[in-house]
Amino acid sequence: MKRYELVVIGAGPSGLSAAIEAASHGMQTIVFDENLRPGGQLFKQIHKFFGSKEHMARIRGIDIGSKLVDQAKEVGAEVVLGAPVMGIYPHKDICVHKDNKVFTCKADNIIIATGASENALAFPGWTLPGVMGAGSAQTQMNLHGIKPGSRILMMGSGNVGLVVGMQLKQAGCELVALVDASPRIGGYGVHAAKLSRTGVPFYLGHTIVRAEGKDRVERAVIAEVDSKWQLVPGTEKTFDVDTICIAVGLSPMYQLAMSAGCELNDDPKKGGTYPIVDEYGATSVDGIFAAGDVTGIEEASSAMIGGRIVGAAAAYRAGYITKEEHEKIHKQYTDSLMQLRQGMFAGKNKGNPNIIQTDEGIELSQFLLKKGYIGNDEIMRFPGYETGFEGFRPVVECTQNIPCNPCQDVCPNKCIIVGDNITGLPAVQKGAKCTGCGLCVSACPGQAIFLINEKFEQGKAAVSLPYEFLPLPQKGDKGYALDRSGNKICEAEVVDVKTSKAYDRTNVLTMKVPFEFKNQARFFVGEKEGL
Amino acid sequence: MRVQEHPIISEFKKGPLVTFEFDGKSMQGYEGEPVAMALKANGVIIHRYTTRNHEPRGMFCSIGRCTDCVMIVDGVPNVRTCMTALKEGMKVQTQYDKSALEKGENQ
Repeated sequence: MKRYELVVIGAGPSGLSAAIEAASHGMQTIVFDENLRPGGQLFKQIHKFFGSKEHMARIRGIDIGSKLVDQAKEVGAEVVLGAPVMGIYPHKDICVHKDNKVFTCKADNIIIATGASENALAFPGWTLPGVMGAGSAQTQMNLHGIKPGSRILMMGSGNVGLVVGMQLKQAGCELVALVDASPRIGGYGVHAAKLSRTGVPFYLGHTIVRAEGKDRVERAVIAEVDSKWQLVPGTEKTFDVDTICIAVGLSPMYQLAMSAGCELNDDPKKGGTYPIVDEYGATSVDGIFAAGDVTGIEEASSAMIGGRIVGAAAAYRAGYITKEEHEKIHKQYTDSLMQLRQGMFAGKNKGNPNIIQTDEGIELSQFLLKKGYIGNDEIMRFPGYETGFEGFRPVVECTQNIPCNPCQDVCPNKCIIVGDNITGLPAVQKGAKCTGCGLCVSACPGQAIFLINEKFEQGKAAVSLPYEFLPLPQKGDKGYALDRSGNKICEAEVVDVKTSKAYDRTNVLTMKVPFEFKNQARFFVGEKEGL
Repeated sequence: MRVQEHPIISEFKKGPLVTFEFDGKSMQGYEGEPVAMALKANGVIIHRYTTRNHEPRGMFCSIGRCTDCVMIVDGVPNVRTCMTALKEGMKVQTQYDKSALEKGENQ
């Protein structure tokens, strides 16, 4: 029987990171994954990641995935694909299914990095073809280039629902509505605002009643829910859709940990059942570790650091690094992880209705939480809104404490300051010299930064905005400006469209609008596009 | 339907175009892509009918978890089509219960 110093199960962000860390210290490492491609869900994440430089912020998940795969190769970690692990047995015997055969190998150390699976939501008609997980839609369009549907209703306003909603529009699908039973949007306000300004309606405090159709989804019926989650009679609304996406959370895939005899726990905040691990990722079984979403649902950036922590622990257990080396590495990664676990969406604060103001003591935008966009008179109270600039100025519509600071990093003139704490609200610096370079507009993973040039021409202001859709409008195109809620507010003309390598596929579109609309105009639609 | 152009993804890496068979009809897809994706690109979203209630099922999770997308592939039933790579000449059939034909139909 083949023996390995380290077997990692799962080649996603945490598993690959764990393998890279362990193999970089010289540990003989093999990774098994049931998928045909490595990277787990990373290759579906085509958006820019949050965090700071050390967390690979403003790099798209898809590119982070490629980096990890290359790094694993460089350090000599072997990755075996199409190889589901069927079970972990006493003495760390691992049973693997590959090419229609089953074989067993032995491991001195095991890292379980099996990730999570999507939760389902049962309602009448939920089994009809056309009802699918949001992650399923993501797999279809972002990995395989298949449109999940034409007209789509998204159920769930957490970050998955919001991000996949945006990606559906990028793939050329129509997002008809975004629905959530909760009265508040679950995910980042900036993700919601991206959709709102394109005109996607949010139905909060609504749930799906049924899917209708003969052999496939033809309609979705939603209705309001009261404070006790009961349907309110007479509030039904019907949408003609061919696809319903479900984004109602994820659950750890703990089954292998269970089969290995690891002690489990249940916690809704972690997403359900998960193996209990210590700060090094060690489970209750000696030599078996777990990392990433299987130990509790977070996101890919945390999973990558978590993987590093556990890879180092395995290398230490096997004697490849000294205690001192291990402690140093461990502290470095733990500090980095703690940065990501701050702010109003961190595990401990998530969905807490008692959070009504930011860390800075500013009242949160209620419009953003309840409707998906910031109210016109709300934006002025945030530090991202500052006046008194000659020519260009940035407006940073980032109003919730989330761990992210690329805007501060990319500005060559220090116009935007987040501060040492990466969950701080970006503050536009009065008196700073904004040149209108657009780097902040393209770098912001939340696409929440706009440039305003009040003196564009007599009676007109120019508004620059991030634009990631096709077809890309061209200079000279005439159309309309939409406000944050997606309503047409005035005529607009595209005066510039900047695309550069530094922008990494986030184009910076500049439109001119009547001066009085400079603080409302946040999106552009061409004349031909009927809204 | 396939995504023709995408603002972020410059290309979807595909194998060569191959021909396969779905319920006796000839179809084309890209070698190596999941069978379920090739079917969807050809407009097929019903993969099987359930045993007792004869209800249609299609792709639900796309990552091999839910088993809703199982079909008969090259004569083998219960194959997860979202996890099975398409090959030239593959024979894919809608699955009724465990077999390719509806109950009561002549074999």
